[in-house]
Formats: sequence, C-alpha cells, structure tokens
Amino acid sequence: MGVMRLGHASLKVMDMDAAIKHYENVLGLKTTMKDKAGNVYLKCWDEWDKYSMILTPSDQAGLNHMAYKVEQDADLDDLQKKIEDWGIKTTVLPEGTLPSTGRMLQFNLPSGHEMRLYAMKEYVGTEVGITNPDPWPDGMKGAGAHWLDHLLLMCEMNPPEGINTVADNTRFMTEALGFFLTEQVLVGPEGNMQAATWMTRTTTPHDIAFVGGPRSGLHHIAFFLDSWHDVLKAADVMAKTKTKIDVAPTRHGITRGETIYFFDPSGNRNETFAGLGYLAQRDRPVTTWTEDQLWNGIFYHTGEAVPSFTDVYT
Amino acid sequence: MSLFDTRPKVAVHVAQTGEQYPCASSESLLTGMLRLGRKGIPVGCVNGGCGVCKVRILDGETRALGPVSRAHVTLEEECQGYTLACRVAPTTPVHLEVAGKLSKPFSRGRADSATASPIPQQQ
Repeated sequence: MGVMRLGHASLKVMDMDAAIKHYENVLGLKTTMKDKAGNVYLKCWDEWDKYSMILTPSDQAGLNHMAYKVEQDADLDDLQKKIEDWGIKTTVLPEGTLPSTGRMLQFNLPSGHEMRLYAMKEYVGTEVGITNPDPWPDGMKGAGAHWLDHLLLMCEMNPPEGINTVADNTRFMTEALGFFLTEQVLVGPEGNMQAATWMTRTTTPHDIAFVGGPRSGLHHIAFFLDSWHDVLKAADVMAKTKTKIDVAPTRHGITRGETIYFFDPSGNRNETFAGLGYLAQRDRPVTTWTEDQLWNGIFYHTGEAVPSFTDVYT
Repeated sequence: MSLFDTRPKVAVHVAQTGEQYPCASSESLLTGMLRLGRKGIPVGCVNGGCGVCKVRILDGETRALGPVSRAHVTLEEECQGYTLACRVAPTTPVHLEVAGKLSKPFSRGRADSATASPIPQQQ
C-alpha cells in the first residue's frame, strides 16, 4: 500500500523538436502521445504505463513536477491526510487533468518542488509483452533505456539562516510518504548536518535524492540501463549525436551506480546508469558519507571535486 | 593560428580584464573563452539552460546558436545585450562584459596564461 514508484517527470524544454530528438534518439524513449497544448509524452520500452516523461514547451529549462504512483486509489485519501497532518497543503486534481491519468494529489515538498501522486495511468504494455517475452525489443534507438529510475533535486540550504530543506524533505518523505533513507552525506563542525540524502520506497538504493544548494531546482533525471557495457554504449551514442557529456562513464561510491551525466538540448541534466547497487531494505543500516570523503562518494575513482557538478543545474 | 585549428577567428575582448581571445565564428563565445586558460571558467550545460556563463555584449555582432533560458536572462536584460556565452557565436569582433557567475573567475586579476597571443592554448 502507499507509494510504489516514480511514475513520471514533467520537464520544461526550450526547443521541442530538439528535445524529442534527444529523448528518442539518445535515450531511446518513444513518443506515445501529444496534447493540444503542445506537451509531448514519452515512455521507455520496458515501461508499461502510457508515459514516464512529459516535455512541455517553455522559455526556460527545469522541472515542472514529478509524480509517484500509489498502489490503490484509496491510498490517495490516506496520504492526503498524512501530508496535511504533517503541515503541507494539498490539492486534488481531477481525473483527466493529465491525459490518460487518474486524479492526482498535488503538493509541494518543503524544498518547493511540486510533487504529485496518482493511482491510475493508462496501461499500454512494455514493448516485449507479457507472454513468452524476449529480453529486449527490436528497433531500439540510442541507449535503449529501460525505465525512468529516479530524480535528484537540488534543495535550498542555508545553514546560517537555519534553512536546510534537504533535512526537511527527508523528514517529510519518511513521516508522511513512508520512504526510507539508504544513504546520507553529513557535514558541518559536528558532522551532523544532512547535506544530501538518498531515499527509496522500492528495493533500489534511491527513488529520489536531495542535495543542498543555494536555490532549489532539478539536478538530474536518471534512466536505467542493464550493464556497464550498456553505459559504455550509451556514451558512444552521445559522442555520435554530439550530446554534451558532463561526466564521462565512471562509478559512484554512493549507491555504487555506474554512470554518465549529460545534458538535454535545453540544459536539463540526464543520467544513464547501471547497477542496482544493493538490495535496499528498511532494516539495512544507513550508509553515511563524511564531508572529507564526499567526492569519493560522488565520483569513486578520482575522488576529485567537480564544481560544475554541484553548481550547474536547472 | 594553431596547426590544427585553421578556422578564421575574430577577436573577443573582455572589458573587465582587458584580455582578448580568438574565437571562430562557428564556435560559441564560451568555447573560445576557455582558451584564455583561466581557472574556474564555468562550463555548465552549454545548452542555454543553467545560466552560469552570462555575458553582456557591449559591441559587435553575434549569431544565436539556440535558445537562452528566460530564468537566467530576462527580456529587459536581453535588450541590454545580456545573453549566455554558450549560445552565441561571434560574426564580428566582440567586446563583452562577463556577468553573474562568470564574473568570479575574472575577478582574480590577469591569469598567467591569459593570452592575446596568436597561439591558442590547448584545452
């Protein structure tokens, strides 16, 4: 019961044609729907609901909202009460507010990011079906990403002012939505300030992550690949398509993921990653990264600071 | 001109430091700027979305390479010549002012490797 998984992300893009080309040809998503307002809906081959990405035309880049799917419609009522009791206002958006999608519970995280929960989205099936399926479909493009896996949100943090929305979000996600903490970065003279957290509802190391920054925004959305070799191939695709790579293939200490960071044509950061790291469980002890070892946590091999990685986001 | 870069270039002048760098008309002002070898020139998304490479064009003509986020360059600023260095290429010699986060790497005096020399630095 309750939240199952990340359902979709809605992103602002400045050049729709370039964005569609990027998400289709580099990541391998397919367009499943377009609406009258010019929004474009896409999904990965291994996803079964109608869409996991919404691209909306805009004069800027960034995240509109992210949505998580809950198991039962009644969960929305239950969670609405928990969220309101926690002290956050909610709005119920009626069915059809987004096409092929049931009613949505809309609210803002303490960091300001808009989050939505929904129970129903039109089922269209994966590209390999459910009866004697092949392990992958023919005609995959680009990286052939399996699914939208997680987001990392930059969250306003200003310790002298007593603002730490990483810690606030983490508490909210735990207490109201039933997520659990898998890893954290603790900083400050006492080493007790949560500057970044990784949280999950599934059994993967993160369904969402929060990192402190001067203002709230989107750090990246991540798509899942099978193996290290698929990560290499994805980097080849990026070279072929002249996609701007931010961080070439490497491994994270945090989550143990094998990764590439790159940018979509509007400057929204994407990640393709492989490796489910470990089995995330509620009784698994939380991993802590200290301030002095933080960059080994981020880029395990070099352990070197890459300022653009923390300073650049939409 | 370097042996491996024979593209015709124009001079781009940075008002704050008086530095000058050669920039091809087929590359962004940001790509050319990296040849100054100044530490900390921020290379962000290079797609106009993140806003770390803000400049103000004081003189000269540029060509747009793609859209620039309104979250980082307002309409009013655009009218005053502000843009993102990753999204414009020079078509004539350009005089520019670095702005926003791009001001910082230019606030530490003239870099040792800063160059007006005809030999571009290796990137």
